[in-house]
Amino acid sequence: MANQFDVVVIGAGPAGYVCAIRAAQLGLKTACIEKWSDDKGKTLLGGTCLNVGCIPSKALLDSSHKFVEAQKDFAIHGIKHEGVEMDVPKMMARKDKIVQTLTTGVGGLFKANGVTLLEGAGKVLAAKQVELTRGDGSVEIIETANVVIATGSRPIDIPPTPVDNDLIVDSTGALEFREVPKRLGVIGAGVIGLELGSVWGRLGSEVVVLEALDQFLPAADQQIAKESMKIIKKQGLDVRLGARVTGSEIREKEVHVTYVDSEGKENSLIFDKLIVAVGRRPYTEGLLAPDSGVNLDERGFIFVDDHCATDVPGVYAVGDVVRGPMLAHKGSEEGVMVAEIIAGQKAQMNYDLVPSVIYIHPEIAWVGKTEEEVKAEGNEYKVGTFPFAASGRALAANDKDGMVKVIADKATDRILGVHVVGPSAADLVQQGVIAMEFAASSEDLALTIFSHPTLSEALHEAVLAVDGHAIHIANRKRR
Amino acid sequence: QEPILSPAARKMADEKGFNPTDIAGTGKGGRVTKEDVMRHADQNPVAS
Repeated sequence: MANQFDVVVIGAGPAGYVCAIRAAQLGLKTACIEKWSDDKGKTLLGGTCLNVGCIPSKALLDSSHKFVEAQKDFAIHGIKHEGVEMDVPKMMARKDKIVQTLTTGVGGLFKANGVTLLEGAGKVLAAKQVELTRGDGSVEIIETANVVIATGSRPIDIPPTPVDNDLIVDSTGALEFREVPKRLGVIGAGVIGLELGSVWGRLGSEVVVLEALDQFLPAADQQIAKESMKIIKKQGLDVRLGARVTGSEIREKEVHVTYVDSEGKENSLIFDKLIVAVGRRPYTEGLLAPDSGVNLDERGFIFVDDHCATDVPGVYAVGDVVRGPMLAHKGSEEGVMVAEIIAGQKAQMNYDLVPSVIYIHPEIAWVGKTEEEVKAEGNEYKVGTFPFAASGRALAANDKDGMVKVIADKATDRILGVHVVGPSAADLVQQGVIAMEFAASSEDLALTIFSHPTLSEALHEAVLAVDGHAIHIANRKRR
Repeated sequence: QEPILSPAARKMADEKGFNPTDIAGTGKGGRVTKEDVMRHADQNPVAS
């Protein structure tokens, strides 16, 4: 039978929908399968990121940040007001509207690019056939020259705290609270836990974040992690490291949680809501026929090479369902790479320069290597830092917590890592990503003109500090 | 020393099957730019 499609993408999250759009742009006859639908049976495009991840969490982070600013920071500017209240249902409605706009937008982009949307669950059979099971139970076999798996991830459950979607919720449930919980527990001090804890903490919850590891943000540069912890504590978020949750019990609409602290002592806490944010796992349920030929690795990810090719020629996998950081922009770029490879291009992806961002306020962001990683490699390096407290723009904005840190190779001066906690950290780090893509030395950035007054100047000063000639701070004596 | 290629230069060199060490870089600090790869292609029509 002739192929119905050149490419069939399974999953319409950031990896899948971007792959489908790019493939269609390249002239490939493309279909995208999505099984997620709302309670009225309408298919939801955009995946985790748009529906229950990046976008809704950022909408709530921005609303809650404005509330804190109005409550605590307006007075310093001389702005007087009679008291500020948060209307939680209205905040949620705004978030839902944004999600709806964006997910509908993906459908519009599919139409504009000629991507065929197939509503239902996709299953990879042998010989690159895809079985589509629609909502009404009807089954259809689709012939295609290439398959791209982009089925994403799901929150991880842990036995001591089973999610009941009422008092104990995962990240999805934490984006749907209808009122501010008085006492909120969060398990996991990773990106998701910190962001959700921040949202509800800003609106008045007493938040305790329980983290099993002894180290805070182990993937981040530890100087930045330490600085971030200081700022977070000052803001009132109670982050407890080395706290291993051992059990939970629901009694009269309260969650009783027990945990063992780093000294081995048993503790217990009572919460009105508990968010389980310990991590995410790849989602492949019902995806692969036993003879599909596609293999998983030992952690349940679909096994792929550097070009996202699975063990079956013509079958690719991208995004959270494969190795690498579980980030929307990582998945999207993999989607673009795979579409271009299918179209015959020599596309490649630079996994060394995938930036990370935590959208609390101030933001935490980084790219490249941490000081710990560079040290472990045994290479000699130089470090330049600059605090936002010395930035005119940050002072004018009343947003002066945090710092920029740049690490460069001592011999070649090549920038190895850019790490920021502070206002617009993600955007500053992005400047570092661009510089590093062009293999910039710290001197390259030092010789570049940065507008004044801007937050970007903190990056400029940090690269100047790498060689000990920052202008706006006293430089450390060079050895 | 390893030549430094811009992202677009890297992709084009790969597509044309060039060895990056053969391409003269004119960018900052000897970096190989996309234009350098195009020039190299013009001068080495056999390779493409």
